[in-house]
Amino acid sequence: MNEVFWGLPVISYLFLAGVGAGAYTVSASVLLRGGGGGFGHKHFQIARYGALLAPLPMMIGTGLIIFELGTFTAAFENGDFWLLFRWIRLFLTITMSPMSIGSWVLAVCILASLVYAYTFLSPDAKPGDDKSSLRLAMAWVGVPLGIAVAIYTGVMLGAMPSRPFWNSPVLVLLFLMSALSGGVAGILLLKAIFDHEPQTDDAGGTEPAGKIDRSSYLLSASDMILIGFELLAVFLFIMFTYLTVGAQKVAISVILPGGSLSMLFWVGVVLIGLLIPAIIELKYVLPTLLHKKVYTIPRRVEMIVALVVLFGGFLLRYVVVIGGQITGPVGI
Amino acid sequence: MKNSDVNLSRRNLVAKAGLGAAAAVATATLPKPAKAEATDRTVQYAMVIDTRRCVGCHACSVACKAEFDVPLGETRSWVEYIEKGEYPNVSRQFLPRLCNQCSDPPCVRVCPTGATYKRKEDGIVVVDADICIGCKYCMQACPYDARFINPRTGTADKCDFCLHRVSQGIAPACVNTCQGRARIFGDMNDPDSEVAKLIATEPVTVLRQEMGTKPNVYYIAADHTDDGDARFQHQYLRVDTHRRAKERR
Ligand code: SF4
Ligand code: SF4
Repeated sequence: MNEVFWGLPVISYLFLAGVGAGAYTVSASVLLRGGGGGFGHKHFQIARYGALLAPLPMMIGTGLIIFELGTFTAAFENGDFWLLFRWIRLFLTITMSPMSIGSWVLAVCILASLVYAYTFLSPDAKPGDDKSSLRLAMAWVGVPLGIAVAIYTGVMLGAMPSRPFWNSPVLVLLFLMSALSGGVAGILLLKAIFDHEPQTDDAGGTEPAGKIDRSSYLLSASDMILIGFELLAVFLFIMFTYLTVGAQKVAISVILPGGSLSMLFWVGVVLIGLLIPAIIELKYVLPTLLHKKVYTIPRRVEMIVALVVLFGGFLLRYVVVIGGQITGPVGI
Repeated sequence: MKNSDVNLSRRNLVAKAGLGAAAAVATATLPKPAKAEATDRTVQYAMVIDTRRCVGCHACSVACKAEFDVPLGETRSWVEYIEKGEYPNVSRQFLPRLCNQCSDPPCVRVCPTGATYKRKEDGIVVVDADICIGCKYCMQACPYDARFINPRTGTADKCDFCLHRVSQGIAPACVNTCQGRARIFGDMNDPDSEVAKLIATEPVTVLRQEMGTKPNVYYIAADHTDDGDARFQHQYLRVDTHRRAKERR
């Protein structure tokens, strides 16, 4: 067994940065799709939840990753206070390292997401208010920035032949899909928790506050599609690695039946994190999709789906980060 | 600029420590390096390890530990034992390991701060402990597991071919101490050097050539058998790494 250099801080960071970046991208896309909120109140509300959520996980994740730095740990051991801030070195230069480029992209993304969140801060923020041009501008930069953050985590891990498990271009696709679906889940969760106002459906009728939510069709439907893409990415990731020869084929065996991470991967990531939420969403989305019925989903179900998707996203990062480190090149 | 900082402190150290040692012990010196000749040929220090002459005594590992006061549990240089076969067809080989000072080093490529770099003047890959943030990305990227976090500084550390010694024209500590003369050190770009001649005339190999790192540590008669080969050949194999990581990666 190889030594694990990157543990829980990095795993949590990859997960949280993914959720934050995903929420930013999703929120910005929803806002832009509605031409700044033209689709009416409910899309604007969704964008608002995403905007307010996005910076938090990204900042918490970035804070966590500092705990993994050797200089941070050593600062306490040898009492050199300045070592705590050694990470500033990241921002005194830029190199071709995916981590260097990624740190800059992440920093810019966090700043942009903070500005974006600021435009939504006021409780009576609405389409066309005095901050709407800034909001739109931040939404335009948010889509590529969020995607870039999600992608860079995959590139960072994938860039090394010495880590055959990670050394696959499909990893980027997997992380991107997981980040977007995590972002949607985060928004769904916030919405399910905080949205107590009576919902107006398209027919104009009102529903008493509480049990039923009709405004999240867009989110659930897109989450379902994203999960579909993620399953595809999982399939490609495994097939392309399994069908090759040498180190990669050996490495992938840790998540195949008999491997030390296989239960966690197939039960935790695939079954609980992907298949179950996809099936539940399908059950609620299909009637609307096929029969144009009014979309209804109990709030509690919505929360469970969101939590399960987030849990699966975390486990995915766990399995990938650990799996990459307990495998290595073959031969000497 | 940063190079000279590193050199200076180490140089002073050698000046103090080295003088006494050099006087007492017969210290192997390098043939005068190209610096004095001032040719336009670049220097690439390299090592040839003749495993036929290695007896697995770990003197190099110990010399390295002493030279750098390497923290407990960490290794810049180590010797692996490779034991294989069924009686009476058995073999035991020794594989001294260290950083390969690669010519296409993935550790340098991934370093986000520029702390790890390959020196132009002698091809040695070094870590500037004043810049490194300890992110461990280089440790992931090195296919030879040559790096570790030095718990004292919190920064990445590894073999640097004894830069403080070789820049003074003295052979690396492990080379100096090797009683079998299994480690041969020199400038491989100098066709008259012993390493260049050995590389030209002996069937040398490098470790994990397929990683594309272009290592500058060459082996003569190294046993490249690993677990995968042993499984495929239904052969008994045991590798002792003699370091904290019991399995080589
Ligand atoms: S052996 Fe590892 S640490 Fe040394 S230069 Fe090559 S990649 Fe870098
Ligand atoms: S641990 Fe230090 S030397 Fe290694 S990649 Fe990070 S900053 Fe560079």
